[in-house]
Amino acid sequence: MKKVLKAGLVAGGVLAILAGCASDEADSGTSGSGGGSDTIDMWVFGTTGYEKLADAYMEENPDVKINVQTTEMGDHHNNLFTALSAGQGAPDIAMIEVGEIERYREAQDRFVNLYDLGAADVQDNYLDWVWNVGGSADGEFQFGLPTDIGPTAMYYRKDVVGEAGYPTEPEALAAEVDTWDKYATFAKDIVDKTGKPVVDNAELIFNAKRDQASEHYFNRDNELIVEDNPEIREAYDYTVDLIEAGAVGNMPLWTPEWGQGMAEGSYATLLGPAWMQGVVKGNAPDTDQWTITTLPEGAGNWGGSYLTISEESEMQEEAYAFIEWLVSPENQLESFKDMGLFPSTPSVYEEEEFANYTDDYFGGINTAAVFAEAAEQVNDVYKGRNYLLVQGEIMTALNNVLSSGGDPDQEWEDAMERIKQRLERE
Amino acid sequence: MVSKSEKYTEKKARRSLTEEKRHSIAGYLFISPFFILFAIFGLFPMLFSFYLAFFKWNGLGEMTYNGINNFTIIFNDPIFWKSIYNTVVIGLLGTVPQLIVAFLLAYALNSQVLRFKNTFRVAIFMPYVTSIVAVAILFSIIFNNQSFGLVNSFLGVFGVEPIVFTQSEWGAKIAIAAMIFWRWVGYNTIIFLAGMQSISNDLYEAAKIDGATLSQQLRYITLPMLKPFVLFTVFMGTIGSLQIFTEPLIFFNGNLRDEGITVVAYLYRDAFENNFFGTASATAIVLFAIIMVFSVLNLLITNRLGRGKARKA
Repeated sequence: MKKVLKAGLVAGGVLAILAGCASDEADSGTSGSGGGSDTIDMWVFGTTGYEKLADAYMEENPDVKINVQTTEMGDHHNNLFTALSAGQGAPDIAMIEVGEIERYREAQDRFVNLYDLGAADVQDNYLDWVWNVGGSADGEFQFGLPTDIGPTAMYYRKDVVGEAGYPTEPEALAAEVDTWDKYATFAKDIVDKTGKPVVDNAELIFNAKRDQASEHYFNRDNELIVEDNPEIREAYDYTVDLIEAGAVGNMPLWTPEWGQGMAEGSYATLLGPAWMQGVVKGNAPDTDQWTITTLPEGAGNWGGSYLTISEESEMQEEAYAFIEWLVSPENQLESFKDMGLFPSTPSVYEEEEFANYTDDYFGGINTAAVFAEAAEQVNDVYKGRNYLLVQGEIMTALNNVLSSGGDPDQEWEDAMERIKQRLERE
Repeated sequence: MVSKSEKYTEKKARRSLTEEKRHSIAGYLFISPFFILFAIFGLFPMLFSFYLAFFKWNGLGEMTYNGINNFTIIFNDPIFWKSIYNTVVIGLLGTVPQLIVAFLLAYALNSQVLRFKNTFRVAIFMPYVTSIVAVAILFSIIFNNQSFGLVNSFLGVFGVEPIVFTQSEWGAKIAIAAMIFWRWVGYNTIIFLAGMQSISNDLYEAAKIDGATLSQQLRYITLPMLKPFVLFTVFMGTIGSLQIFTEPLIFFNGNLRDEGITVVAYLYRDAFENNFFGTASATAIVLFAIIMVFSVLNLLITNRLGRGKARKA
């Protein structure tokens, strides 16, 4: 009898476990993970400060409950991908990074078209290129509202630039080096006079040139055009020329030597986005030599995110009302002051607090104004969902030229071969 | 009355049968959590990847049937073959010296003259409990591309130019093999040590009386008696090295280059960087076949050796 009882208990336990799984599933199916059905679930990554803004919103709107959940960037996108792939478990609002948004284009049916919720009314608040990256190739479907952006500029070391006989003041240097041809001359002068490379590695110089092209690797019909795109080949050749002149360092991004080089001034310029300010300060806290000016001939963008609403959400309108408020020009100014998120709404650039912003670390200049100027020059480019694959193979080619003495033309051919080989899998 | 007693025994028999049944049900229930979880998280994904290998799928869109095209694509990809070559070379570089060193270390630990035995045992086993990611990060710093990296500055003493390890054909492989060596040598040492301790001392005493030297003892007693342990470590080492993944991923900082991409890293890149789940599954199946071949070979050799031993006895 005792044994029967035991068996019964075990059976009960197993059933309870299974029932637990089942009820969890049912729960997450209706409302995302955690929270009741009257709560808006929001997934974000990084340090956004959105919890604070959500609290402020809930105070103004007592009938709305928002649950902000922050995860590390890689995990965040993987979780979201899995939830969307499974068709259930996605939050009401998900933040998607600009590089990641490309792969979700396939899953248009799992997002709400924000035009249906009134996004056209706020479209004019945002920079055109930012808005378009968050939409479908034909512009009919809007995935997300833009949060922050990462317009690029030229960070440089005053001591290294000065040693090469160039002006150290931002405006004067920008005027002196205002074309890529002059930048190449500048690079050779840096190498001749200081023995240092002009850039840290091949990646950022290639990206800076690439970002000023009108088309990159795919056209809007998602066809591979990189091989016949003269602008990209020009960016490649330009980088190769600098490599052959000894002006490109071999300090890959995020490595210890890269950070060390920042502190020691091992390279003259760093062609980075607005959020790189924090990285430079973190790596080189004891120097006052870094400052910022505009890039030759335009600018690019690296980073930024979009707030999307999932199709399975039962609170789409409430969620939309919240994100429209959250990334409105007024609140983007708050996020800029609070967390340094660079606004995607150009009206903020005119605000007094923005126009009078100065940064002592970067020589007391208005860094925000430099990036604001850059933001308005970014090209509106369609990237395509296999963008990073192509980028990776081109970087491999450039690194082979840089460190293993590969033949540039051969490396380019090989990279094109690899890209085509890998795209067959799609 | 006969019928009554018959009935009684019949009843008893039936009761005992149900009792037995109940016992087995209880048993199955006790082991069921493993099987339920295994079916969901182990068996289903395995079977699904066999299915997926014949489809094109990016994880979000529609799955489209692709026949054996996924296999054709990977077999035509030189990098796939490179990844197999890399896996085998790194496996050999990481495993063969490792087993030899592990054997010598175990022999030293087992010797009568050594003091602080437990301290040494713990110290040698320690690398095994560290996280692979931590090991990989540490070794990436040791095998740094710059001239100030530990290995490069050591080579610099002899006037050798700094090696760009992440882009060097052999540098990358040696760096990854070194991580495997360091992490697993302690584990295998302990296995060998356990094996050596299971060898009766009488054998050695008898050999000593017969005038056997130390190397003769090693060759004619220790090595033959350790055979099952050696086979176990070779077996585990083979399977383990065919699945090397974390080390190259961390070492290349996510940018998996041809010099050190392994089969698992190759399929990871397809699946989780580019969302080409079809070819990734096809690669997984090819890897499965390779591991099966190696395992069967190992098994055949083991059986043969086992039989040989039995005949001798």
